[in-house]
Amino acid sequence: MPGKTTDGAAGGICRRCKENVSVLVVRLEPLCQECFARYVHTKAIKRLETFRVDFHTNEERKVLLPLSFGVSSTTLLHILDLHLKTQMSKTGRTGFALSMVAIRNAEQSPHTEDLLEEVRNQYPGHEYASLPLHDVFRVIPDDAALRDLIPEYTKGEPPKDQEQLARLINSLTSATARADVLSTLRARLIVEHAKSTGCQSILWGDSTTTLAEKTLAETCKGRGFSLPWQVADGKSPFGVYFHYPLRDVLKKELVSYIGFAESGLSSLVHEPFSGATQASTSSKNTTIDDLMKQYFESVEENFPSIVSNVVRTSSKLEVPAGAESDPRCGLCDMPVPGGRFGIHGWGGYQQDGIETAAVVGKNVCYGCTRSLPPSATTTTRI
Amino acid sequence: MPPSICAVCKTNRALILRPKDHSKLCKPCFINVFEAEIHHTIISTNLFQRGERIAIGASGGKDSTVLASVLKTLNERYDYGLDLILLSIDEGIKGYRDDSLETVKRNAQQYDMSLTILGYAELYGWTMDQVVEQVGKKGNCTYCGVFRRQALDRGASRLGVKHVVTGHNADDVAETVLMNLLRGDLPRLSRTTSIVTSTPSLTPSSGPVADNTNIKRSKPLKYAYEKEIVLYAYHKRLDYFSTECIYSPEAFRGSARALIKNLERVRPSAILDVVRSGEDMARLVPGSDEGCGGACGSGAAVPAEEEEGGCGSAVGKSMASVESQLAANERAAEHNLETEILSKPAKPTPPPSATSTKGQKKPRAERTGGPKKKGPTKQVMGQCKKCGYLSSQEVCKACVLLEGLNKNRPKNKIEVGYEVQDVSLNSVRDELEAATLAAEG
Ligand SMILES: [Zn+2]
Ligand SMILES: [Zn+2]
Ligand SMILES: [Zn+2]
Ligand SMILES: [Zn+2]
Repeated sequence: MPGKTTDGAAGGICRRCKENVSVLVVRLEPLCQECFARYVHTKAIKRLETFRVDFHTNEERKVLLPLSFGVSSTTLLHILDLHLKTQMSKTGRTGFALSMVAIRNAEQSPHTEDLLEEVRNQYPGHEYASLPLHDVFRVIPDDAALRDLIPEYTKGEPPKDQEQLARLINSLTSATARADVLSTLRARLIVEHAKSTGCQSILWGDSTTTLAEKTLAETCKGRGFSLPWQVADGKSPFGVYFHYPLRDVLKKELVSYIGFAESGLSSLVHEPFSGATQASTSSKNTTIDDLMKQYFESVEENFPSIVSNVVRTSSKLEVPAGAESDPRCGLCDMPVPGGRFGIHGWGGYQQDGIETAAVVGKNVCYGCTRSLPPSATTTTRI
Repeated sequence: MPPSICAVCKTNRALILRPKDHSKLCKPCFINVFEAEIHHTIISTNLFQRGERIAIGASGGKDSTVLASVLKTLNERYDYGLDLILLSIDEGIKGYRDDSLETVKRNAQQYDMSLTILGYAELYGWTMDQVVEQVGKKGNCTYCGVFRRQALDRGASRLGVKHVVTGHNADDVAETVLMNLLRGDLPRLSRTTSIVTSTPSLTPSSGPVADNTNIKRSKPLKYAYEKEIVLYAYHKRLDYFSTECIYSPEAFRGSARALIKNLERVRPSAILDVVRSGEDMARLVPGSDEGCGGACGSGAAVPAEEEEGGCGSAVGKSMASVESQLAANERAAEHNLETEILSKPAKPTPPPSATSTKGQKKPRAERTGGPKKKGPTKQVMGQCKKCGYLSSQEVCKACVLLEGLNKNRPKNKIEVGYEVQDVSLNSVRDELEAATLAAEG
């Protein structure tokens, strides 16, 4: 059982209310069900100070919550829905309006529509949308940089969005690369959707644990330069604000929370729980993201504060001066300091047979270059 | 399966699957590529200056042996104009260094380089065996780590050499990047990713204190994979001694090492990619003055005091002890926040540090140097007033440890061994003795 439900804790008295029987130990404190729920809520709401009810304006702020139907984003919706109801009953209005988006990927989630419908029934009164991932090519129509990365794309009669996505993904040569590019495209589509629907902020569902995973995974994928925009709350380089309301809650705590919540919540979660993540280590299908997931789900068990500390640490990284004017990566759209594109031109230069002179034009960051096949990032084929 | 053809020369049969990118190469092409990349590292970072005397920190292990071999090759091929010498440290652990020092002695002959072996006895007045005898097996890791970090610099200083190169490879650097993320140490992450670690900007000390601060330390193999180093040594038939450090690595390093091994399996370039991320992140660390993170090659000066090491690292703490310290800080911060919410319910919660008013007790996290809202304050590096070694404290860690040791040393045992194993018949002995006397004086 996640959350360390030990026998000693189950019998004892809740450390906070000193009344109820404790049901689990959270960071060494035995808590009852109610106090635990309040603990999770407080952690999330504390992060939403900027979204308190503003009595000086009639303009309603709209925020976007991307739903993956996993533990974190579903729980975040549950908490925010509750929070908005509380605001409404206390003040007669709310601090923000909530809009959800689910991204469909043909292979991975064929029944996204059904799942979204279930969620909508459970939490009515908000905006819901579902988009196919290939829409990323529709919403970024003029982005030549992204289209340049699609193999055999010739100007003239452009292939359908769906076809473009398939070509791009099929050109990738490893599971890590496919997972990386898919999540990059998903993030870009979500950002574009937020902007086109008037959302100033995106509330990402990441827990402490997934932010720690992301910190190390991006570091390992050569995207250390982009970390200030991947884990910290604040202005993103994409014209919207990023917030991570669950940044102070561990994944295992969210799993416990769902376990205690009314059954309606857990039935909405469609994510393989811990344990199922343990893919075979030798498998060709293991990705860097998988490795980090396995790693932090095990560290989280006994060293939760180390996990929090990783996130606190990476959140301290500062956005470099002049980032506003730095050229962007054609795939992830991150500002690349000094326009240092590609994997060449640094101390760790590799004699890999790709002619340096040929590597021109395609402005792709170091991390994205690692994911794309060599032919996609060079103008001439070898 | 038909035999593969070398991806570079397209002529020879490929015999080597290159660990860095899984390209298939013939033996000569692999040797070429390996050397060319290290040459590129040296040139693009302006690592050496013509006429410079370079001490290679030699342990007889694969990394330093390959480093010596490659530097000799490149120095001749590209006419760097370097004076290369070997410097070995003998910790004074009975039996531990015997074979590796024999290897180093053979290397000195094979590469025609002069060799100096300095013992902890000469450098500190204590061998590790004596330290263990005094403090017991349990605490000796602290000594090993602290002494080891200073030993090369102290040794180089005695030889009058200003630049020491070590065999740290890409795996070591990647490990250090992940380790410092795991233990939340951005300043150290920033410092250790740089190819050069030293403080040439510090004014050299004068007077009776030995000049240990002005030593430049660098790692030319920073981008070379451990596996390729082994392959290179194998195919060049280099004479090295496989030795495992007898002290187990600290928990964080062990954890990072395991991650790196798994990563390499999933994506061969990952080790290099972590190193790249580390360099890029070094520029994003608050208060970092490293505009270039080591990439611009101007020899970004970084204190070598906390150089990463294979074992006995600076923070020799277990994950469990770090966890309980962090958890205590978190609880204190949380408690503080709660009392504030209770006392001023109407106002939004400002960060704890902003509200600690006069008379009010500061949150424990603040007092204990735990998580702070502000970026880390920059450590001011100065010199140890005893030995002149680079230190953030008035007296460096080694001198503090030595003081403790010497205080408790039985009177009849005070014998500092000054003898130098002068293998190469060079004339450093006199210099050494002078420096030794001055330092201990
Ligand atoms: Zn309670
Ligand atoms: Zn990119
Ligand atoms: Zn060849
Ligand atoms: Zn000292």
